[in-house]
Amino acid sequence: MLSCVTENMGLLCSRNRRYNDADAEENAQTAEIERRIELETKAEKHIQKLLLLGAGESGKSTIFKQIKLLFQTGFDEAELKSYLPVIHANVYQTIKLLHDGSKEFSQNEADFSKYVLSDENKLSDIGARLDYPYLTKELAQEIENLWKDPAIQETYARGSELQIPDCTDYFMENLQRLSDANYVPTKEDVLYARVRTTGVVEIQFSPVGENKKSGEVYRLFDVGGQRNERRKWIHLFEGVSAVIFCAAISEYDQTLFEDENRNRMMETKELFEWVLKQPCFEKTSFMLFLNKFDIFEKKILKVPLSVCEWFKDYQPVSTGKQEIEHAYEFVKKKFEESYFQNTAPDRVDRVFKIYRTTALDQKVVKKTFKLVDETLRRRNLFEAGLL
Amino acid sequence: MPSCAVKGGCPTDYIAIALSILSFTVLVLWCIVPFIVHKVPRTKGSGFWIPVIQVVASFFLLLSLVYQLSIALFSSLLIISNNFLKLGERYWWRSCYLWGAQWTIPVITLHSLYIAILVGVTTAVHHIEFRFDELKDLWRGILVSAVSIVIWITAYILNEVYDNISWLEVASRFLLLVVASILVVAFFSISSSQPLLSQISLRRRETREFRTMSQALGIPDSGVLAQSEPISRIDPNEPLDKLLLNKRFRQSFMAFADSVHFFDEVYELSKIPEDDCVRRIYMARHIIQKYIVAGAAMEVNISHRSKQEILSTSNLARPDLFQNALNEIIQLMRTNLARDYWSSMFFLKFQEDSNLRSNEYELEQMTGWNFSPRLSSVHGADDPFHQDHLLKSSGCSSDTTDL
Repeated sequence: MLSCVTENMGLLCSRNRRYNDADAEENAQTAEIERRIELETKAEKHIQKLLLLGAGESGKSTIFKQIKLLFQTGFDEAELKSYLPVIHANVYQTIKLLHDGSKEFSQNEADFSKYVLSDENKLSDIGARLDYPYLTKELAQEIENLWKDPAIQETYARGSELQIPDCTDYFMENLQRLSDANYVPTKEDVLYARVRTTGVVEIQFSPVGENKKSGEVYRLFDVGGQRNERRKWIHLFEGVSAVIFCAAISEYDQTLFEDENRNRMMETKELFEWVLKQPCFEKTSFMLFLNKFDIFEKKILKVPLSVCEWFKDYQPVSTGKQEIEHAYEFVKKKFEESYFQNTAPDRVDRVFKIYRTTALDQKVVKKTFKLVDETLRRRNLFEAGLL
Repeated sequence: MPSCAVKGGCPTDYIAIALSILSFTVLVLWCIVPFIVHKVPRTKGSGFWIPVIQVVASFFLLLSLVYQLSIALFSSLLIISNNFLKLGERYWWRSCYLWGAQWTIPVITLHSLYIAILVGVTTAVHHIEFRFDELKDLWRGILVSAVSIVIWITAYILNEVYDNISWLEVASRFLLLVVASILVVAFFSISSSQPLLSQISLRRRETREFRTMSQALGIPDSGVLAQSEPISRIDPNEPLDKLLLNKRFRQSFMAFADSVHFFDEVYELSKIPEDDCVRRIYMARHIIQKYIVAGAAMEVNISHRSKQEILSTSNLARPDLFQNALNEIIQLMRTNLARDYWSSMFFLKFQEDSNLRSNEYELEQMTGWNFSPRLSSVHGADDPFHQDHLLKSSGCSSDTTDL
């Protein structure tokens, strides 16, 4: 210690004054870093790791955004504004998809006449470009006119064949607002905005409710869901408290973005089973979010559940609300069966819960997360031998 | 002369045999010398067996041609020592011709069939762009085979018709053997054997390890950053695809996210001149293998349509081959990666390198930012948490001093 001091003194003497200040400052900083690292490692032990897993477009990032909104500072204006190009890109891409889709249908289908567009326009070209123009009132009007074209509407009715994003309806209804010169995206717009996640993103949060009872700290990881992204998941599998598996139950009649020969529900099933079998997850809790219930309840009345191979044996019983419940219960049962079939007997004591969610609905997500939090805390107490 | 035409052992026969032995020796030396001189490790699998098969096949081809001559030679030697075999020899020789007469038509049909199949296959694959212009070679091969057969038939017919012109017989068998000897060597040097050649060539010595495909292909200004790379200020408000043309920026972004590697290699591809099909195809194939094929090591997140468009292309040298996929990736970078990159350690480091750290104010601002590191690489050894220690200590201002 002393030698260190003298050494420092020697250095002090040999250097000029400005340097001394910098040195002292650096030393103070190093001490500060060490103190912080110590604190962090202490805190680290209490942080619970949560993983959001699921196939592409199952709603993982929407849940992630909701958590940010609910338990963190939310989005500041800069962040809201950063979504503007995304939202505009969503609009242009969607209209291009619909435009190209109607063209394709009008060429290949027997009842082609209903897909023929009333007039040609340049909107499709914009969608293919990289540098989208700002969505002006005129462009928005043009897009709206095209959107209202019966051919486009007919095409949209078959949207499940075309990789049309879920946000289409929402953004098309709000075109006028989106094209305002002073437009700043709202929280809701941001939640609807479709961005394919690539890589891994994380946030840390503590779901402190009104009663401030929960002191649990969570670190939530969001990942990309497409096949190529899954190779990155494996890095995250160690020491996970709970996996939140998102399954978009409305996508039983859609195909994968990355492989249009593959049904999304079948992919989800296989993925779910693969995750269940991971050796790392022996003691990990599983929270299954049967997501996109809002779309599911609309679709189920139009498209029979049995179009998906997994649900082939489904028999509709009635109509309306009852039918929705019946179909949902059927899907839920299928996932339950799959869970127990793919969980080895020595793992049956891990927690498995199924939640019905609509990731866009803040209330639902908040409620669900409270339940998840409660379950995990109880689990911890149980493991500590207190329960 | 007339007697040797029947008996064999004309001077031309000896010359022809000498030539074929010479050509075969050249062939063998060609194969072996690089291995002996440079002690190149023997490659396993097809890399080793294909040259061996080619050499053995050439040997048998020459041997079968020499066969007729050697029969004549040996028998002439025998005649000297053993008059009694003379009749037998003649009979043997004749029987060869009889055998010929009987089987020539089926054999010629077989050869013609071979050429017909070759023509068929070549037309079927004519739209594929091969690495070494194999198509041109295939047509050349067809031409040569066809010409050889025509010559053979002509020689045969002439021999049959003018049975008594002995010089014709001698000349035709001389020609046959010499042409075969030349062809054997020639075939080994044409481009369909190119992969073999490159493997066993004398130039093999200068084996170099290339870090990237673009370096291996000698694309200018690729690979490691030169120190002299100009340092320029990066304005996050500029369009991303413009920013990415800056090499320093690209390298920094590449460390942050794996999708950028794809951009980088496609950018390298675009530097190859359009008329240099061979290199373009090499690079395109490399990119497809590394980024596009399902399950590839660095597969990128693109739509089914874009992927199919690339995989089903008939022209790998097309300049806009990766355009749609690239647009998707740029869009992905813009909407998903860029926003996080600007607030990442990688960008901080980049700025620092560019001497942009102007004042404390910037650092103050950064402490509040939410850091979200991406898995930058996908190879197994990569630990996504290895940067965590830096990032976890939320005092990011202190981290920057470490950089």
